[in-house]
Amino acid sequence: MDGFAKYLVRRFFQFILVVFLGVSLTFLITNLSPVDPVEQTVSLMTNFGATDPRSVELMREALAELYGLQGSFLDQYLSFWGRVVRGDFGPSLSSFPTPVMSLIMGALPWTIGLLTLAVVITWILGNLLGALAGYFRSNLMLKLAGATVMALHPVPAYILGLVLLLIFGYAWPVLPISGGAQMNLQPSLTFDYIRSLILHGTLPAMTLVLAGIGGWFISMRSLVSNIVTDDHVVYAELGGVSSSKIFSQYVARNALLPQVTGLALSLGSVFGGAVITEFLFNYPGMGRLLVQGIYRGDYSLVLGVTTMSIIAVAIAVFVIDLIYPLIDPRVRLG
Amino acid sequence: MMFKTLVAAALGLAMTVLPAAAQDFIAGIPRNEALIIQGPAAQNAEWFNLWAPGGGASNNGLQQLTADTFWFINPEGTGDSAWTNALAADRPQYNEDFTQMTVKLKEGIYWSDGVEFTADDVVFTVETQIANPGMGWSAPFTVNVESVEAPDPRTVVFNLNAPNSRFHTLFTVRWNAAWIMPKHVFEGVEDPLAFNNNPPVSLSAYVLHSYDTAGNWVIWKLRDDWERTSIGQELEEAPQVKYVVYRNAGNPDARVIEQMNHNLDVINDIAPEGMFTIARQAGANSAYWFDGFPFAHPDPTLPSVLFNHQVEPFENRDVRWALALLIDIRAVAMGSYRGAANLAALSTPPTGTAIVDYYEPMQQWLTDFELDTGSRSIRPYDPTTADQIAALVRPQWGDDIPDDPDLLKRMFGFGWWKQDIQAATELLQKAGFTKQGNQWMKPDGTPFTIRLMVEGDNIPTLARAGTIIAQQWSMEGIQTTVDVAGPTNGQRLGAGDFEAAIYWTVETWGGHPDLSFFLESYHSDFIKPLGEVQPPRNLQRWQDERLDAIIETNRTVAFDDPKVAELGIEYLQLAVEEMPFIPLMAYNKFAPFDTTYWTGYPSAANPYAASGPFWSNLRYMIVALEANPNAPQS
Repeated sequence: MDGFAKYLVRRFFQFILVVFLGVSLTFLITNLSPVDPVEQTVSLMTNFGATDPRSVELMREALAELYGLQGSFLDQYLSFWGRVVRGDFGPSLSSFPTPVMSLIMGALPWTIGLLTLAVVITWILGNLLGALAGYFRSNLMLKLAGATVMALHPVPAYILGLVLLLIFGYAWPVLPISGGAQMNLQPSLTFDYIRSLILHGTLPAMTLVLAGIGGWFISMRSLVSNIVTDDHVVYAELGGVSSSKIFSQYVARNALLPQVTGLALSLGSVFGGAVITEFLFNYPGMGRLLVQGIYRGDYSLVLGVTTMSIIAVAIAVFVIDLIYPLIDPRVRLG
Repeated sequence: MMFKTLVAAALGLAMTVLPAAAQDFIAGIPRNEALIIQGPAAQNAEWFNLWAPGGGASNNGLQQLTADTFWFINPEGTGDSAWTNALAADRPQYNEDFTQMTVKLKEGIYWSDGVEFTADDVVFTVETQIANPGMGWSAPFTVNVESVEAPDPRTVVFNLNAPNSRFHTLFTVRWNAAWIMPKHVFEGVEDPLAFNNNPPVSLSAYVLHSYDTAGNWVIWKLRDDWERTSIGQELEEAPQVKYVVYRNAGNPDARVIEQMNHNLDVINDIAPEGMFTIARQAGANSAYWFDGFPFAHPDPTLPSVLFNHQVEPFENRDVRWALALLIDIRAVAMGSYRGAANLAALSTPPTGTAIVDYYEPMQQWLTDFELDTGSRSIRPYDPTTADQIAALVRPQWGDDIPDDPDLLKRMFGFGWWKQDIQAATELLQKAGFTKQGNQWMKPDGTPFTIRLMVEGDNIPTLARAGTIIAQQWSMEGIQTTVDVAGPTNGQRLGAGDFEAAIYWTVETWGGHPDLSFFLESYHSDFIKPLGEVQPPRNLQRWQDERLDAIIETNRTVAFDDPKVAELGIEYLQLAVEEMPFIPLMAYNKFAPFDTTYWTGYPSAANPYAASGPFWSNLRYMIVALEANPNAPQS
């Protein structure tokens, strides 16, 4: 087995281990939750009605049986892994008997659409500005841009979103502040629907971009600031290589490696949704689904969403590990 | 250069979004034909089975606009006008020992697919749910119904397992009730629990038009044959609202903005600050339950300080009374609702018919009520609380606050208990407590501390009330910490995992004096040991032989018997004497209406229907609304 094959096998076992531990931990945590889905449903059915106590007892027993919550912790754990392998997380307990996968499949396109776009835009803008600011340190416009993103960086996404909501929803009401698309418009590849998607996604995407850009900016500027003093860059400058070539070929490219790993992790975590932003703008993605699941004690749903997220992050890291040797020859271990 | 390109790109993006302002708010539906109501975020938007677990409590218009049953009680109403025969032609008819109930059905009512509604649908509803445990009303039907028959298409006879003078309440809507199933749809369904019932056939005036698969909106359309429904038969002309849109309008701030932008006609509930913003800025385009301050609509629920009677020292009546007398209710009203609270000294919400049946007749009794502190006898009731709250809010709201004492009582409640630190001290001493410095010690010598549980952000007004009460108790030497339970609140209340809590344990019909709605579950037969789940209500696990006697007598009295109100008064007097929980106020709900497109909303002056979007009685509001002639033309 050559060096690359050994590297591949090692990384694959790491991937399996990460998924196993992550999913097991999630199962443990959700099962320790004090929120009982049967009680949540009983509460929903009796909160406002005149239901007598004898009926409530009967209702509780029937629901426990219906939801399949019997069996020991180990039985449920093994059964859960069986379902994960089959790609089936069982029925949602808060939307019984709809399968969890069906709920996830309904929310996933919204989250992937919004977050992938926002993550990629944030990554490109943050790294570009960071690299430029690190290399052209005396440029006034870049200093100003840097100061702006640095000022936004510590502001929580919730506050940023709320400010955007007030500006574009109330002071200058040109953008929708709630939902994923216009009401009574059915999903289709028409201009109206696509425009509606863009309009409704603009504020959540802006929130994510503004909240996330600072992190990429700071790390990239820091990386570039270190690289510009490296011997190979100094030598290139002394050799008369143009600034743009030094920036793109010798500085930015070298600085990009850890950022690519970061991008992969961010893209992987897309599957967990952007909880606060989705809540704020009522965006119908995975984050909102996860919060609903937590509040309603629907641990099938919570497990489904978090397992998807864990597997996605692990796959992203694994893929990056595979691609790394192609980007950086030093990783091709012999 | 790069930066300029970025700025240009941003401007380009801005240009693409500008047309948003000119876009129809609802594609293809004229805004002035649609009533937009705050709805929930549906997790499973494709699901329209009302009879699945939890389905009958849906808040997206399904139960409010398409379902029907025998009777409705207007929670805001009083007397006979509060009662509506819906599918039933008359009130319930029981045999002498309440083991049989006969219901006569109205004629000429049809499902939206053209099939006639008959007694067979009712029989099918009951039998199917008994045969399928887990369905919404399976348990109460199984417990109560021995058999159900349809001797003719317009008559249903229920034979009961045991005498039950309140069996009809299963089919009586306050918020919801057992909805009748379409036999012709469900009889071909193999598993009614797994059937999504999409699209649903409707038995009421509206039918499904379209819905968002992402769960943010559902649009209902007026049926062409709306006259062939129970609600339609009562109307002289067609409802003006052609479309009803249940829309999840987002977080509380977004809801306020959307209403001020005229994109949300009916809000379910917002914090006082949001309400006051709308009142100040929307001005003539808004309507409320009260024309001005306090704006809020009092729900027939009773937020209270609940004590766990199975945890010492809260089983002691003197301790509970002492804690009540340590509360300055004016501060609680100002801090929780900024004064817009409807206070309650009696253990029933001060709404609907309770005002005339209980609050007004019991004022003298309350004023004369004497409490033995161990050292002396005091009269703790203060009938002037409403005037005091009015004086506190008048500097802010000026002329909105009337001088008429009767009006003030409607706005702020009839009265409450005077804060009396000395009397509380005497009561605690009577219970064997001692004070060391500023710390009260229990009879066993340990410090008297309290964990006061609140739900948290989900009900901000009650969380604020809990915080203020905790401060007041702490200042008087009982260290009280606020315990935020979040989503575990209901479960912890049920399991008895609390010492004291701010929540409601009393809900009533609102429009009827019968208190069995909650009181039935207060019988000692249903009290569980600590750790086991208590049936809903009586979360404080109050046990009293006198209470059992009242409940047992109430069971033998017909629903409309005048003796019902007498028994109600007996219960209320017992609750004052024992103070099993400290009633605070009605749950005041800020539910403002936008009048840009629709007028004629219910109000305190004209309480013809429920106003909360999730109450099924809302249907009576929807068909009564009138289009605003000055509305923008779409």
